[in-house]
Amino acid sequence: MSEFSLYLLQQLINGLTIGSTYALIAIGYTMVYGIIGMINFAHGEIYMIGSYVTFIVIAGLLGMGMVSLPIILIIALVVAIFIASTYGWTVERVAYRPLRGSNRLIPLISAIGMSIFLQNFVVLAQGSRDVALPPQITGGWSFGDPSNFEVSVSYMQMMIFAATFVTMTVLTLFISRSRMGRACRACSEDLGMTNLLGIDTNKIIALTFIIGAALAAVAGLLLGLYYGVVNPFIGFIAGLKAFTAAVLGGIGSIPGAVLGGLLLGVTEAMTAAFFPAEYKDVVAFSLLVLILLVRPSGLLGKPEVEKV
Amino acid sequence: MQKVGVLAAIDDINAAGGINGMQLEGVIYDDACDPKQAVAVANKIVNDGITHVVGHLCSSSTEPAADIYEEEGVLMITAASTSPTITDKGYQMIFRTIGLDSLQGPFAAQYVINSVKPQRMAIIHDKQQYGEGLATAVKTEVEKAGIKPVMFEGVTPGDKDFSALIAKLKKNDVDFVYYGGYHPELGLILRQSAEKGLKAKFMGPEGVGNPDISKIAGEASEGLLVTLPQSFDNDPANKARVEAIKAKGEDPTGPFVFPAYSAVQVMTDAMTATGTTDAEKLAEYIRANTFNTTTGELDFDEKGDLTQFSFVVYDWHADGTKTPAAQ
Repeated sequence: MSEFSLYLLQQLINGLTIGSTYALIAIGYTMVYGIIGMINFAHGEIYMIGSYVTFIVIAGLLGMGMVSLPIILIIALVVAIFIASTYGWTVERVAYRPLRGSNRLIPLISAIGMSIFLQNFVVLAQGSRDVALPPQITGGWSFGDPSNFEVSVSYMQMMIFAATFVTMTVLTLFISRSRMGRACRACSEDLGMTNLLGIDTNKIIALTFIIGAALAAVAGLLLGLYYGVVNPFIGFIAGLKAFTAAVLGGIGSIPGAVLGGLLLGVTEAMTAAFFPAEYKDVVAFSLLVLILLVRPSGLLGKPEVEKV
Repeated sequence: MQKVGVLAAIDDINAAGGINGMQLEGVIYDDACDPKQAVAVANKIVNDGITHVVGHLCSSSTEPAADIYEEEGVLMITAASTSPTITDKGYQMIFRTIGLDSLQGPFAAQYVINSVKPQRMAIIHDKQQYGEGLATAVKTEVEKAGIKPVMFEGVTPGDKDFSALIAKLKKNDVDFVYYGGYHPELGLILRQSAEKGLKAKFMGPEGVGNPDISKIAGEASEGLLVTLPQSFDNDPANKARVEAIKAKGEDPTGPFVFPAYSAVQVMTDAMTATGTTDAEKLAEYIRANTFNTTTGELDFDEKGDLTQFSFVVYDWHADGTKTPAAQ
């Protein structure tokens, strides 16, 4: 392959890696929106908490002298999912459920408040400085001619792909095959009717928040290991990007969130590849505006019947 | 730190007989690094009849206080505030004995030209005043010497993924990168460069010289070049003074100790030469002359800033320590 196509391939891989993590976080936004029609702005903070828990658990287990990396990662994953889900559930119970049925703007403000609260809570509990973790998964696989251009895919990138793929498959199966998943789909079609049919919609909404938080925790673990740095403010930018991905793909649609995430990631990488890197956000967000002008409901979103 | 340096200088000068037969007295005020308290302290200093001030410490406190000193005709020399805006207002009474952030750029460029001699150089910055300012200064200087950077690009502060940028550096066969910015971003760039097999040497300003960069980048921070203000306490010429400060149970290693010491030297040298303590006459003399101090030869420009300041290039190590780099 020529140098150009190898370079293109490398940037595609970079874009897909970051895109898959956008997708994982975007699902939390899109599921909540699909069911109760609100934007959960505190979702980025749940991702940040997932990252912190991962760091604390890994550092703790390493400190206790545990050496088996797979076991450490599995314990960290389970603990991160559990704690993040607890936060997700609590946020819904405390800040959103009491406001259900009121004007749509009120839960939105409550969500922004929750986001600021969680951010400052972590600042107070953990300090506002960067916390770093040494690289745990190193090495990678590379191909191409070293004298020309060598494409490298690190094991960490492969793990991000694999984990995202497995998580998405499990989620899709759960939504399409399980009883609870069917209830979720029913809620997103018509919340009031589902309630009348005897399904406890409060439970389903709580479940949605728990699933979204669990996926954010997976993203928190993956990105925490990949970058090796967390601080209490990473949730804001990650949340904003993921929210963009969700809107791009069509908010409310799970395949849309995945598509939007990947598209956003690849656009960023390709822009940085061929223009000065500082233009990547400009191009990515111009793309968002363009797509929304042409398709106001996003790439895979259903045109919404006026709910306001 | 300023206090330690000032009191040490006053003790030394008094021990040597004072200025024109008069003994100096140091009075300590604390503004708690709070701009509001700085104003109150500055007013109190004026009311107490003090006409020569070494301070303040934080740039945000120095700025409002400088206004008051200028108006009341008090001579002020700060040994710690590095914000460029402090001296932008055309003050007559305000000086500093610490180098501005921006002086590091030309210094780093000279090192690149004379010692690194890169084949293909890239300059990356974080689009902020500090980082982009330094990066532009480096670019201008190396271009004068005929080194044309192959890339000059910004990154977004707070970004975590630099894989696209690193792939581009690899594609351009870059062997040397100057980074204008702070340690969190450069730490991640170093870490991800190592993972992606980019073999380039990196250099950065004081903003990256933080032990945290080694926590973030681990082994990848080994061999990073960092420009830092010289540690004057390591200067053999200052050995006796360092011992004297240690004997008093104080720490001589802080970056502002010796700039504060030389601030006193500048004032007292001017007093000896002019035979007066009149602040306005002293300010005129300071602007017009150069001074031999513990931090080297100091020369002030029209704004009251140093025309040059001693920086040193360090080799950074993976454990967060540093050693002076080979010239």
